[in-house]
Amino acid sequence: MGNINRRTFLKFSVIAATLGAAPSAKSQENFSGWPERYGMLTDTTLCIGLNCRKCEEACKKVNNLSRKNLNLSDNSVFEHKRRTDPENYTVVNRFPNPNKPETPYYVKKQCMHCDEPACASACLVKAFKKTPEGPVIYNKDVCIGCRYCMVACPFGIPSYDYFDAYTPQVRKCTMCYDRIQQGKIPACAEICPQEAITFGKRKDLIALARERIRSHPERYHPHIFGEEEAGGTSWLYLTGLDSVQLGFPNALAKTAYPELTRGFLSAVPLVLTIWPVLLVGLYKFSQSRQVKESPESTQNSVEESHAGSNGKPDN
Amino acid sequence: MHREKKDRFKFFSLVVTLLLLLALVGVRQAAFSQNATKSPCSDCHVCPWPTAKEPCLKSCTRPEKVQGPISAHPGPDVTILGQLADMYQLVRFNHKLHADMVGMEQGCTVCHHYATSGKYLSCRECHGKKPSNPENLRQPSLKAAYHRQCLSCHREWSHQTRCTLCHLPVPGKTAVTLDSTDIIRPSHPAITPPQTKIFNTPYELGPIVTFHHQEHIDRFGLSCANCHQKENCGNCHDIQKAVRPAKSMEEVHAVCNNCHRQDGCNKCHDTKEKPKFSHAATGWPLNTYHSKLDCRACHPTGKKIARLDSSCKNCHSGWNPGNFKHAVTGLKLDEIHSQLDCVNCHTERNYSQTPNCSDCHADGRSHIDSPPGERLKIK
Repeated sequence: MGNINRRTFLKFSVIAATLGAAPSAKSQENFSGWPERYGMLTDTTLCIGLNCRKCEEACKKVNNLSRKNLNLSDNSVFEHKRRTDPENYTVVNRFPNPNKPETPYYVKKQCMHCDEPACASACLVKAFKKTPEGPVIYNKDVCIGCRYCMVACPFGIPSYDYFDAYTPQVRKCTMCYDRIQQGKIPACAEICPQEAITFGKRKDLIALARERIRSHPERYHPHIFGEEEAGGTSWLYLTGLDSVQLGFPNALAKTAYPELTRGFLSAVPLVLTIWPVLLVGLYKFSQSRQVKESPESTQNSVEESHAGSNGKPDN
Repeated sequence: MHREKKDRFKFFSLVVTLLLLLALVGVRQAAFSQNATKSPCSDCHVCPWPTAKEPCLKSCTRPEKVQGPISAHPGPDVTILGQLADMYQLVRFNHKLHADMVGMEQGCTVCHHYATSGKYLSCRECHGKKPSNPENLRQPSLKAAYHRQCLSCHREWSHQTRCTLCHLPVPGKTAVTLDSTDIIRPSHPAITPPQTKIFNTPYELGPIVTFHHQEHIDRFGLSCANCHQKENCGNCHDIQKAVRPAKSMEEVHAVCNNCHRQDGCNKCHDTKEKPKFSHAATGWPLNTYHSKLDCRACHPTGKKIARLDSSCKNCHSGWNPGNFKHAVTGLKLDEIHSQLDCVNCHTERNYSQTPNCSDCHADGRSHIDSPPGERLKIK
């Protein structure tokens, strides 16, 4: 009987411990991002695209990417939609402007640096990290090359560098994390002759974007893309059209993508810890009734069952 | 014992009073210093004691737009935009040419958006060199301000964003060569307004619209900007005019409707070209003096132009034959003729027609050979 009491105590203490852990998970849910995090605001109505693409060039320069295939005066690149790849962390695409065909829209595409990145959530080895400064950065030393991040990203941004057989890695925009740490601004924002890209505190950029929409309602679609999409992103866009007409993904969730699996995933540890104990407990309980019926076999059966369940010495 | 208590009380009250005094002084000090830092003076003045002579006004924090004069004359002819040039040479910006052209849009404030009543500020007085300046995110750097300002128009009408549109290349640094067909030239040829424009319209009952452009300028005293509002270089130079979306019915008629809203379609639309307006067709050919007048000098403003009473007194109310000096017509009557009544010579009261001498004189003389007085030069 004394044994069973101790077991009940153990059982309850485990449940109490898991319940104690639950509030900390709850508080993480309410975390709405680092308050002083940086962001980027791309004003697509200012981007001139044609004959420019200085952002692509500057990006390649600071990230030591091959500039072999970069010809800034070749405007035929706008004839098809490009996507980011290991050599291009950012690309500018052209979209027609139905209201003013002579000035089409140019949209710069790169990692959005989500507030709650799906890539980081999907990564098995924590190769992705959302920094307090805002950028989502990648650590190639721990990456195992599973490319779950590429599947998880709602914007289809991370790309895989296959070309080096020994050190394959996922490549994407870093929002110039090292430059930010040095007190500089990201290279694309610095080079842009139109300053179509503004770097600053995310909250300040949202205020700036709202002000622009308010003072030029004829120029802007009244929505800041990235303020809420995918749970909020560090990269924000001001557009002259609905974002879907500018090649942004359709029907993006307003909640962060990791949120969709959080309920299930946070239940996994609970299941793993509670269920074995609970089931063993129930088993023991039913056994103890049998023991009452045949008292001489009690000691043996208890020891056997306990050793089988968690391998700890029963004391 | 009692005395000790009293002493203690005295001591405490002293301390409390001192503390209260200190607190009071502190509060006053705080209030004063707060007032000093939040003073509205520092919003506009840079020095602490501005005077009427030296107001030391801030130059850049003026949130209100002020509509300035449209004339280009106080501005410089050419300015150099090149504080940041590296790959390309400085931009030789033809200020006068641009200033002349913006008269058709919104005047100097198209570019000088913080225009004040005084001398306009140059761009660099507000715009700094730092992109994404954390202290003022909404203000672009000088480089971006120039590019945005120039490209907002030039991109729209030339459909080009080549650097060499404005910049001269730096030999050895810039790979491109200057295209001689670039649109920026030292001066723009003088714009001559057209005489008459004929439009072919889809209106079936009257496809032809004849617009006497010069006549509108002469007759109604209109300047270009009266009708040509919000125009830019692209309206003439746009190389892709054909791809522009078609204007709506309302947009096409908007300019004419400014004045002709009350008129029917037939005012402009016809099956053939309409002749110029001729006052003679109304039954009163205008003489030298009347033809110089604006329509509204005789026809009342704010009303539809209609037939007037053609007797002189209708307009010249103070006029009578006694105070009329015939010399204003270019003929100073001699003594004999000045005694006559008007209708003795101007039969049928038609003063626009020169009288016929043979009505009185049987010798067949004409007023050319022997005028009834002295001929004067009409100013």
